[in-house]
Amino acid sequence: MPQPSLPRRSVLAGATALGLAGTARAQTGSPRKGGALNVGINNDARTFDPIYSVQFSERQVLYLVFNTLVKYGPDFSIQPELADSWNVSPDGKSVTFQLHPGINFQDGTPFDAAVVKWNIDKRLDPATASPQRELLAPVIAAVEATGKLTVVFNLKEPYPGLFSLLGERAGFMVSPTAYEKLGKDFANAPVGTGAFLWKSWVRGSALTLERNPAYWEAGLPYLDSVVFRDLAGAVVGTQRLLTGELDVVMELSPQDIRVIDGKPGIALKPITLGRWYFLQWHVNTPPFDNAKLRQAFAHAIDRQRLNDIVMRGKGTVSDGPTPEGLWWNDPSIKAPAHDPARARALLTEAGYPNGFSFVLSTPQVAAFQQLNQLLQEQLAEAGIKVTLQTVGASEWYGRVVDGTTNLTPTRWVQRPDPDGLMYILFHSKGFANTTKYQNPEVDRLLDTARATYDVDLRKRLYSDAQRLIVADLPVAPLIFGAEYAAMVDKVRDFVWIPDQIPRFRSVWKAA
Amino acid sequence: MRHPSLQRAFGCTVIAVAVLLAVFAPLLAPADPNRSGVDMLDLPSLANLFGTDDLGRDIFSRVMHGAQPSLLIGFGAACVAMLIGVPIGLAGGYMRGRIDLLVVGVIDLFIALPGLILALIITAMVGATLRNLVLVLGFVMWPPVARLVRGQALAVREALFVEAARAVGGSHGWIIRRHVLPNILRVIAAQFAVSVSVAIFTSASLSFLGLGLPPPMPDWGGMVRSGFDYLSINPFMSLAPGAAVTLTVMGFYVVGTSFK
Amino acid sequence: MGRLILTRLAMMAVNVLAISALLFFSVTTLLGSPAAMMLGEDASPAAVAALNTQYGFDRPPIEQFGTWIGHALQGDFGRSFITRQSVAAAIADCVPVTLELTVFSILLAVVLAVGSSTAPVARRLVGAASTAAILIGVTVPNFMIGISLILAFSVGLGWLPSTGWVSWSEGALSHLQHILLPVLTLSAYYFGVFSIVYRAEYRDVCERMFMRVARAKGLGEWRVAFRHAMPNAILPVITFVGISLGQLTGGAVVTETIFSMPGTGRLFVSAIAGHDFPVMLAVGVMIVVGVVTMNLLADIAYSLANPQIRHE
Repeated sequence: MPQPSLPRRSVLAGATALGLAGTARAQTGSPRKGGALNVGINNDARTFDPIYSVQFSERQVLYLVFNTLVKYGPDFSIQPELADSWNVSPDGKSVTFQLHPGINFQDGTPFDAAVVKWNIDKRLDPATASPQRELLAPVIAAVEATGKLTVVFNLKEPYPGLFSLLGERAGFMVSPTAYEKLGKDFANAPVGTGAFLWKSWVRGSALTLERNPAYWEAGLPYLDSVVFRDLAGAVVGTQRLLTGELDVVMELSPQDIRVIDGKPGIALKPITLGRWYFLQWHVNTPPFDNAKLRQAFAHAIDRQRLNDIVMRGKGTVSDGPTPEGLWWNDPSIKAPAHDPARARALLTEAGYPNGFSFVLSTPQVAAFQQLNQLLQEQLAEAGIKVTLQTVGASEWYGRVVDGTTNLTPTRWVQRPDPDGLMYILFHSKGFANTTKYQNPEVDRLLDTARATYDVDLRKRLYSDAQRLIVADLPVAPLIFGAEYAAMVDKVRDFVWIPDQIPRFRSVWKAA
Repeated sequence: MRHPSLQRAFGCTVIAVAVLLAVFAPLLAPADPNRSGVDMLDLPSLANLFGTDDLGRDIFSRVMHGAQPSLLIGFGAACVAMLIGVPIGLAGGYMRGRIDLLVVGVIDLFIALPGLILALIITAMVGATLRNLVLVLGFVMWPPVARLVRGQALAVREALFVEAARAVGGSHGWIIRRHVLPNILRVIAAQFAVSVSVAIFTSASLSFLGLGLPPPMPDWGGMVRSGFDYLSINPFMSLAPGAAVTLTVMGFYVVGTSFK
Repeated sequence: MGRLILTRLAMMAVNVLAISALLFFSVTTLLGSPAAMMLGEDASPAAVAALNTQYGFDRPPIEQFGTWIGHALQGDFGRSFITRQSVAAAIADCVPVTLELTVFSILLAVVLAVGSSTAPVARRLVGAASTAAILIGVTVPNFMIGISLILAFSVGLGWLPSTGWVSWSEGALSHLQHILLPVLTLSAYYFGVFSIVYRAEYRDVCERMFMRVARAKGLGEWRVAFRHAMPNAILPVITFVGISLGQLTGGAVVTETIFSMPGTGRLFVSAIAGHDFPVMLAVGVMIVVGVVTMNLLADIAYSLANPQIRHE
């Protein structure tokens, strides 16, 4: 039952209900202007050109220098930002955005519909070779500026996931004037409409942003500057937080926070939705095309113990791709339970009565190394011998994509629309489908679900798809992680967005 | 520890303990070094002498088990360095002339290359396995061995007894085996011990830089590295294996130098 | 002399070229797909293929090497696969940090080694203590010294920042606080080896005639030690500094990694961890050129100071 014209938010927003909505404005007091915020991050940034941005750490800077067309709420709802409102046509194939009037870029040029068209066209142009093209080109037919502040996205099919895309990298609006003037240097001197101006970047040391005095959102930002300081490891971050050298430290594991947990003057902010960790393999070729073997693996794994040790029990066990708290989560879907005896039996049925051995690829990331050592121990109890093979962190995913890596753990951050992860990972045409999973029924369900705006229908379709996926085991679900930001309690109004990228635009510092 | 005999006693004790652990760690260690537990990063206690690591494993047992790979790498790499370095050094020092010029040229070319850097590049490309580490470190360590042996051979060659042997018509091979080699054996043995210490030192540095043996192998350098993240929770996760490396390196070093 | 230098220079050029070629070919054949590394989470087979063509990764290795060496001779080492930053710029950013770290460490090590082995005060006590210190310096791995210092002065006492880097422009005091522990860490080993070299030489010098004359003249112990013996014994240490630079780079790599300093060593380690081949190759070649040059300079200095070698 597709609804005709859709008022914004009614359908796309209100995505989540459980626990996430109440987090906004937890702290009281009226915001104070001024001050510098020192943030400790593991800065592996490569480029600050949003059109080419790939790395996670880049995005927390990009959200300060740029605005997105729409933004994500703390409950993953879609909210207005550069676009004040939008309308979906009755056939669902065109979306019209009304842009906020009177916005200027940091270089003084105006932001309007033509700019939006330039930005999307740039990303769609094959010559640009933007990594986002993969996401946009299959769904967007054309973008038209029909008025000074009216821009229409014509879609190939109805596509509710569009809003999710426009709330992240594809939605960062770049100043075309600055982009064409600076060329390649734009990556180290980005110009957007955002609350902070790019000041300097000393690689390996610090990245400094300063308040944009002409920022268009009234009263914002509060901070004079935001300085991202490079950290090598959490031990240093927590240390500097205690000495007051830093105000905020990101990406702390449940182990890392042991030193600061309960310390006066320090506030811990757990992320609201955990990263999804799973074990993956090539399902289309031997030996993992053998369903019994995959089931044996799944039954051999004690997910609770993984959570208890790697996440100190602060994460949750994963029974499928979607954690509790997202509307497409279906609690009735259960992954195979830990049962070493059953795993042994299945291994025999799979044709490996004398055990099975394989190489488990291990990227040099603490969480993966810990997971893999535990997996090795657990699988051994069921007669499965895995040998860990260390791979450099930056090289590892490339090997997963080109297929040289078979058995490996992987993790993904949740996205505001179910299409975000489900399609790219499990549709036979999904670009991140590195398991080579192909189930025509899952394809059909995902295709139907991504082309309708009817939330109830989508919820049913995604439930069915996830049930099939968990039964087929193209991946073995492990856990949803736990992660923390720690800050001195002078830092106020920090609110997590479930994509795990901190936004500091409306943060302020108490005297 | 100014007296050579005292140093030697210390060194020999350390080596004896390390060898004992390398062979009998499975019998001596109080716990399975790879058995995880839900008490992570606990501080030292009676049950866990150095506490537990990030996966709740007993650090004390892991350090004991770490002796084996370390000594294998140390001895293996030193052997490889000797196998390459001694013949080359002997050839240059004993034969002199063109051969010596070539030998000196090659030694100079390789000795200029920074060992750790070279080891880093090669290990990164061939992968850090026990066998590869032995070969890579041995390859990196041969030039000093060759230089030392060449110098010694040069000196011995001029000695009266060698000239006498040559006068009675001994073949080069015979002279080298019977007269040159025995006279420089002591120096070679000393250099062997020093090489073992350098190999253990370098392989621990490689592990610390992320090119160590794959987990869960209890590899001292790798343990120091992973403990670095938890220095303020349980520092023994780094300190205990670090101390083990240090003592072993020191032991072989003092034994080697005291015989020189 | 001039011919000697010319020959050495020619040999050096050949060495460097041979090593570059060796590195280039072994690395390119063993490398994964740089395009996939550049794309990270967004990598897809189609995008990877497009990027391979764009950057010329699909051309034969010999052709790629030709291009690389041609550009390298003009100071262009390409762009990092991972950061897309120009490699020359990345190295230029890092070199001052490493230079400062090594220069300070060498100076400190030389001063401490020469001072502690020359000073005629409480010889027995200082001697015993510094013998122990030398042994520690030579055998304790850098990372262990660094970690112990961090534990004691940062985690324990909280006097000094544990790691990180603050440039001079951000405050001289803070800069020095950040560099103190790394310098101590790196100088420990050099204190050890310089002491060994210096002590041997010092003992030799003390046996010589002019020392006996100096003593016979009734000059004070301090004056004899520092005015007569030290200047004569220090030369081998200076040349040894030049020869040991290769070792020093290794120590600098470890030290920069522990203290997360944005220097050449850490650049190299992260390039190796990420198989970031342009950076790896450029830094590798740079280190080799640097070390070989310093060795050459040390040789020249030594032969200038030693007439015997000059005329040989």
